[in-house]
Amino acid sequence: MKKLSRKTFLRRPWGVGVMAIILVFPSLLFSQPKEIPIGSVQAVTGVISDIGIAMRRGNQLAVDDINARGGIKSMGGAKLKLLLADYEAKEEVARSESERLIKEGAVCLVGPFLSGAAMTVATLCEQRSIPFVIDVAAADDITQKGFKHTFRTFAISTNFANNMLLYMTQIMKEKNVSRIRGVVTNTGDLFGRVQGATFLKFVKEKKFPIDVLAHIEYPLGIQDLSAEVSKIKTLKPDVLFPITRPGDAKLMVTELYKQRVPLMGILGPGSPGLYEPEFIRDMKALSEYVMDNVPWVNPKGKMYAEVNARFSKLYPGKYIDTNSGYAYLAVMVIADALERAKSTKSADLVAALRKTYLRQDLMVGGAVTFDAKGDNSNADSAMIQIQGGAVKVVLPDKAAEAKYVFPWPKQLWDRGM
Amino acid sequence: MNVTLLLQLAVSGFLLGGVYSLIALGLSLIFGVMKVINFAHGEMMVWGMYVAYTLLLWTGVDPFLSFLVSAACLFLLGYALQRTVVNRIIDFPEAMQVLPLVGMGMVFENSARLVWGPDYISPRSRFSLSSLSLGDLMIDVPKLLAFSLAIIITIAVLLFLKKTDTGKAIRAAADNRTGALLVGTDVNRIYAVCFGIGAACVGAAGGLLVPIMPLSPHIGAPFTLLSFIIVILGGMGSLSGAMVGGLIIGVAESIGPELITSLFHGAGLDLDFPHTMKQVVSFFILIVIMLLRPQGIFGGRRG
Amino acid sequence: MKKTTLISILGFLILLVLPRFLSSYTLGVFILIFYYAYLGQSWNILTGYTGVISLGHSLYVGIGAYTATYLVMTLGLSPWIGMWVGGIVAGGIGLVVGYLGFRFGLKGVYFVLLTIAFAEIGRLVILHLKVFGSFQGLFIAPTFTFVNLQFKENIPYYYIALGYVIFSLVVVRLIERSKIGRYLVALREDEDAAESLGVDVFKYKMIAIFISAFMTSLGGAFYANYIYYLHPGTMMSMASSIEIILRPIIGGMGTVLGPVIGSFLITPLAELSRSYFSKAGYEGLHLVIYGFLLVAVVLFFPRGVIAYIKKRV
Repeated sequence: MKKLSRKTFLRRPWGVGVMAIILVFPSLLFSQPKEIPIGSVQAVTGVISDIGIAMRRGNQLAVDDINARGGIKSMGGAKLKLLLADYEAKEEVARSESERLIKEGAVCLVGPFLSGAAMTVATLCEQRSIPFVIDVAAADDITQKGFKHTFRTFAISTNFANNMLLYMTQIMKEKNVSRIRGVVTNTGDLFGRVQGATFLKFVKEKKFPIDVLAHIEYPLGIQDLSAEVSKIKTLKPDVLFPITRPGDAKLMVTELYKQRVPLMGILGPGSPGLYEPEFIRDMKALSEYVMDNVPWVNPKGKMYAEVNARFSKLYPGKYIDTNSGYAYLAVMVIADALERAKSTKSADLVAALRKTYLRQDLMVGGAVTFDAKGDNSNADSAMIQIQGGAVKVVLPDKAAEAKYVFPWPKQLWDRGM
Repeated sequence: MNVTLLLQLAVSGFLLGGVYSLIALGLSLIFGVMKVINFAHGEMMVWGMYVAYTLLLWTGVDPFLSFLVSAACLFLLGYALQRTVVNRIIDFPEAMQVLPLVGMGMVFENSARLVWGPDYISPRSRFSLSSLSLGDLMIDVPKLLAFSLAIIITIAVLLFLKKTDTGKAIRAAADNRTGALLVGTDVNRIYAVCFGIGAACVGAAGGLLVPIMPLSPHIGAPFTLLSFIIVILGGMGSLSGAMVGGLIIGVAESIGPELITSLFHGAGLDLDFPHTMKQVVSFFILIVIMLLRPQGIFGGRRG
Repeated sequence: MKKTTLISILGFLILLVLPRFLSSYTLGVFILIFYYAYLGQSWNILTGYTGVISLGHSLYVGIGAYTATYLVMTLGLSPWIGMWVGGIVAGGIGLVVGYLGFRFGLKGVYFVLLTIAFAEIGRLVILHLKVFGSFQGLFIAPTFTFVNLQFKENIPYYYIALGYVIFSLVVVRLIERSKIGRYLVALREDEDAAESLGVDVFKYKMIAIFISAFMTSLGGAFYANYIYYLHPGTMMSMASSIEIILRPIIGGMGTVLGPVIGSFLITPLAELSRSYFSKAGYEGLHLVIYGFLLVAVVLFFPRGVIAYIKKRV
């Protein structure tokens, strides 16, 4: 037999085949990434840093949980890696930080809570053709610019308002209240204004039996609400419909107590500030019976129970709420898309995201699925109420863990504080 | 025109103004004596708040007592700040003064954040929910207490400046720095004490505010601006001016929107002056004062 | 050829060629360097010649941005043209500020507060105008066309921003060489002497503030079409005004290259401290460090970095 030298080896057809396999095999191995970077853009410093931190934690916990379960199985168990960015609640920082994450290899971005930053990042992602999953940001406008790379898991304002009226209808019917005299207040920021305006618009258009006695807006960062509450007191409303931020929520309740404003209840049409652990911790009995219509966690969900258990263990005193919950969910959506796309290429990922149908019982609402504009058509909100120092879902009935209480049995100043 | 509402607003504004006065008091000293534009003023106040809050948390001592500890801590901080940073920039042109203090403001704000976290904290203390009724009017007790204590502190500082040797030296150094140097005054030490006292005032104000407003590392900046408006309104270097200026601004911001709205309606305009624009009232007052009477209400000592 | 001119030309050539070697992110950093150098330079025109400090220049940036955008929204007018309209409006407001300040003899901290008051009032007023988006802010329509000053990639933005800087340098040079410039320099050197020689000090101060406000506002149009979102809270705030004055002060007030050098120092400093120190669990640490750095730089370079370099070179 002729000696099998390299030259003769390659002359045989099977030689070429073997050679090919030997050459290609390593690249087959290496073409599966060991680590898939995802960029988290949150405002962990600056004026909303408490929310930003909660959301970063939500993003991170989801990444850790997915990795613990074996990573992205369809890509050889590749692990997710969360690249962190802080945009300091400033749009131009959001832009450059997102640019940095993309440079560092992020295949998808998640964030950012503030709608202004969401707009900036969405525009950037469109320019760089990188997918962007908005975990929380409610301004409708973002998904109305025809962006192909932006998806949003959170509910939009019209959704909030719809549900609010639905729940109000039920409450008023069951409690035999025919008309409610109400005052709507909101913080002077994007979310406050949009929520307030949408709620009022729906009430007016559907001729809902709420007499809106006044619509009061106050400056963002306000440290004294005595003037506003004085005005509310003179109007003698039944219900206060506030859209607040964590700081002024506490100020509002304290001031209502001090000025002895009698109410049937406080019902947020969809507001931060009224459900955070810090609100309950500081307001104690005063936070009792406050209701809020928010895209909340699903208390009966198995996923919720597991995730919340881990979250509260990692961060004592905190629990999964609207913001951290959606931050978690958004990362799950990205991981799910990666599984189906089997690739980290932008076009594949975007196509996979479009076809998302992710069953989940972490948050109230159905499976996450995106419509043509990129909004989550199954995003839903629930009416929560603080009872016994804990947040309980009270409506809709099918997700309720407790019955709602309305009107509240004791005024703020009769609660022994 | 709802007179009861306007009266209530005026009372609330007046009491809050007392608190503003105390914050401005510190700045009046610092700016009046050393001509330093303390852009870290609001952030220093926030540290005063956190000191009082921490004491409340650990020992249960009410902020209406522990504000004294806040004052002491801030005195030390102010003294140190003066000797390290402010001393070097005293003769700089304004622009160069702005930056180091802005930088220090960032340091104070973000280190507070690192220590206490970003959440808004509304601690409960003995008087935080108290109020008194006077007929139809509601008197906010924590604001009343803060108001009273602010006046006491102002009087104390005034007496200090008039009666003690250090106080007289401060006033001398303020009037004529070269002269003070010539007679052997350790001007650096005097300035440091002065800055310390100014810081102590703002620290005390912070402590008094703990039962009144939610704490967060980022609430300082608007107070810096407010203090400047009050100091100019009252007259630079005039402590009673800071007091009166604070009261005026407090009432103006509180009553302004409603009053202006009533005027609009009275004139037939279907326009509401939004509460979200209440700061415009203070800024407008500032511009008018600067144009028509720049030395402020009680000013006149220095041009 | 003077040494500094040679270095400047060399620097400029390097900047021209740089983009092909840089990532999109780094280009973005350069864009911000140029943008803030431009704003600082425009601000410098006021302070360098009149000695008054404005801490309310973000007002003009806002006016420029909103005017240009408004014209796009209502008339479809290109921001390339709209920005000049914005310049006139901003210059006009600058004249009002100048009139009140100069006529009434406001100096030092008084003038500073006047500018702050105007900027804050401007911010609050725009915050309440529905046409500009009120509290929601204004989302800029992304068309990515040259006509609208928008591009998909960062490279065109880079060259335009660089162009802005060159433009400001040219303007400053032209001012210094012109007749107006001679009077302005006289003003800067000794205002009282100039006045006693018959120079209409008030008129030239007004010219300075007009030019400063006008130039600053041109930057606003760029910002609007780079960031795609306008909100008075971020772009017309005091913090924003402070960002503007940082670079010229640290680089060297009243010097031509000061704002540019300052920007090359400060912007990367901020970026680096953010990316290195923004770690989980220590949020805010990078801002503490940045704050200390600001203090340190001013203490070590009290006349600005340029003066320090000049002494050594």
